[in-house]
Amino acid sequence: MARKSWMYAVLEAVQYEMRKDKDMIWIFELTPPVASTPGLPVINLEKEFGRKRVVNTGIDENWMASCVLGAGLAGSKAVTYIPYQGNCMCFQVIQNHAGKLRSMTGGMASMPIVFLLEMTGQTPGFAGQHSDYEIDTYYAHIPGVKTVVPSTPTDAKGMMAAAIRDPNPVVYLYPAGLRELMEDVPNEQYETPLDKAAVRTTGSDITIVGSGGGMPEVLKATEALQKQGMKVETIDLRSLKPMDTETLVKSVQKTKRLLTVDQSYYTLCPGAEVIARVAENVRGARFKRIAFPDAPPPAAPEMMLWMRPNADHIVAAAKKLVG
Amino acid sequence: MSELEQNEVSRQTPEDDRIASPSRRTFLKGVAGAGAAVSLISKNAWAKNGEIGFWAKDLPNDRLTEMFNTIVRIRWYERTMVDKMITDPKYRGYNHFYAGQEAVAVGVCSALNNKGPFDQIDLVYSTHRPSGHAIAKGVDTKKMAAEYDFRATGLNGGYGGEMHISDKSCGFIGADGMIGPGPVIATGSAFAFRARGSKQVAVNFGGDGTYATPHFHAALNNAALLQLPFIYVLENNLYHQYAHYSYSCPMKDIADAARTYRIPGVVVDGQDVFQVYNAAKTAVDRARAGEGPTLIEAKTYRYYNHWGAPGAEAGELGAFGYDPLAISSFRPEREVRAWMQRDPVDICRNTLVNWGVLTRARADEIEAAAKKEAIEAFAWADRQPFCKPEDGLKHVFVEGVVAARQFG
Repeated sequence: MARKSWMYAVLEAVQYEMRKDKDMIWIFELTPPVASTPGLPVINLEKEFGRKRVVNTGIDENWMASCVLGAGLAGSKAVTYIPYQGNCMCFQVIQNHAGKLRSMTGGMASMPIVFLLEMTGQTPGFAGQHSDYEIDTYYAHIPGVKTVVPSTPTDAKGMMAAAIRDPNPVVYLYPAGLRELMEDVPNEQYETPLDKAAVRTTGSDITIVGSGGGMPEVLKATEALQKQGMKVETIDLRSLKPMDTETLVKSVQKTKRLLTVDQSYYTLCPGAEVIARVAENVRGARFKRIAFPDAPPPAAPEMMLWMRPNADHIVAAAKKLVG
Repeated sequence: MSELEQNEVSRQTPEDDRIASPSRRTFLKGVAGAGAAVSLISKNAWAKNGEIGFWAKDLPNDRLTEMFNTIVRIRWYERTMVDKMITDPKYRGYNHFYAGQEAVAVGVCSALNNKGPFDQIDLVYSTHRPSGHAIAKGVDTKKMAAEYDFRATGLNGGYGGEMHISDKSCGFIGADGMIGPGPVIATGSAFAFRARGSKQVAVNFGGDGTYATPHFHAALNNAALLQLPFIYVLENNLYHQYAHYSYSCPMKDIADAARTYRIPGVVVDGQDVFQVYNAAKTAVDRARAGEGPTLIEAKTYRYYNHWGAPGAEAGELGAFGYDPLAISSFRPEREVRAWMQRDPVDICRNTLVNWGVLTRARADEIEAAAKKEAIEAFAWADRQPFCKPEDGLKHVFVEGVVAARQFG
């Protein structure tokens, strides 16, 4: 156990798998697979495994995703790290190839591959193209591809290990705003399931569901509400597809109130799916979702920060729902 | 008298209008030869027509002076902003600095129509490094500076910021934060020009990093097949973000790719505004005449790191040394300093003084005015109002506002 950043924890998982599997490859552009943490050795995948297995490409996310898919079809494990600028450039190959090949081949195609897609959403100032978050919705919609979005360094490591070992294509979303998070993470390799939500706090008054980059604000709001005497059950989705319906339904059966929080756009945000699944299974519950408005994120911090759901918004919405 | 001696003579009579055409033509032809001789990396690779003409010979003094003026206006916009980023902790703006590449933007845009009705001016598609292209196309620096700091009265109302500035009034379609799609979209504009029988031209600026994108091929292939009035200006500043272009391109000269599409591909010295102008003018004339697209590769260099001002010091030109964002690869200081020996401001100034178009004193006055303009632009931007939060719900569609969804 040692204090590690999000990226250090992830690369530790990758390093372990790459040492074990001499065929496994890693494709990146611009973001070298390098991480350091005080007191621990620097991880540098490019240096350790060489440019035959770890390669810095041109700016061509379509190639990166396709290469990883092709490697998977040829029988190798492969991961690509696509930075936030290009996280939809590779959509077609994930949606129309990776997502469908298993089905179209009658179950023959094996794709032990991971698309590590960075996303921002937390950043005012960059505007539109570099500030968006909606890809959680897009990728979670694709059948045949698992879509996960860990929100802590511990989950990040365990879910990366599980994603690499999973024989299915996995879209592994990395909210870049979590880059600064540090926590104690085990040194040994372990797996965190790709289909289980995490109950972060238990309570009987209200269920609050969030994911990924929105989690720090959800947890802040939870703490504030608890201080005011509200019994809050807070759930971190972790996996958008498959979605852990059982945990969600169980919780709302108890609380009868469900608030979902998303940084994704309101329409079809993950919270919309959460509410639909719960509504199908729980009688007499009340629902509310808060999300980023259906508008591209503007550059000006005054506008962007006002539009992005934060702890104050969550507290107010929870009180309204409970009161 | 040799050509160089001729130049020496002319230097003694600066600002002398007597050297206007036709004697001026002969004179400038001589200079053209001299320019080519001293140029280190200039060459051309036209698929036909042999070579580029020295079209800068035909420009009147005021146009040539304006080219120098625009170069220093870009330079001081950038330098003023670098200083602001370093010295003003409250400043929120950022930039992908263009300093070092000014001659490319100015040389190209000087060959375009930038003023007039929207359906008659040429369109420019820019990059995430847009300051130079914008100023060269005619964007107001005050409004730009306000946009860079997200002010409500900025060029785009604070919605865009540096990576998304745009100004329809001068045909600056705008900056683009993405690598790839820009040139393909630009060919769409070129297609529209051809379809409606317009003489307009669509120009796309892109870096060496764009070569690796599938969009590079899509843009040039379709522009060649359809003979579109499209010009791809590839600014090869050697690095895409932090990686040398040898990581993404198997050729030394990216212009060689033009052969694949059977279109002219030309390599030009991107530090010399007149050589860039010559190449751009040839390409624009071809495009307007319905002869199709051109790929121009301008060899150039940026004085700052990929993003922001790490390694820069207030009052000094250029950024050196370690950039924490580069992680495992960054540019050697000696490479930066070597390129700064061929500074586009100096080359333009020296050439115009040499041609007798400017005196050094006049050049200094122009540069001082450019510096003053930049300082005033950023000061004006500082006084502009911040955006209203709820305005974030505007401009999603042409009409109305969208609903707030962030509250319970």
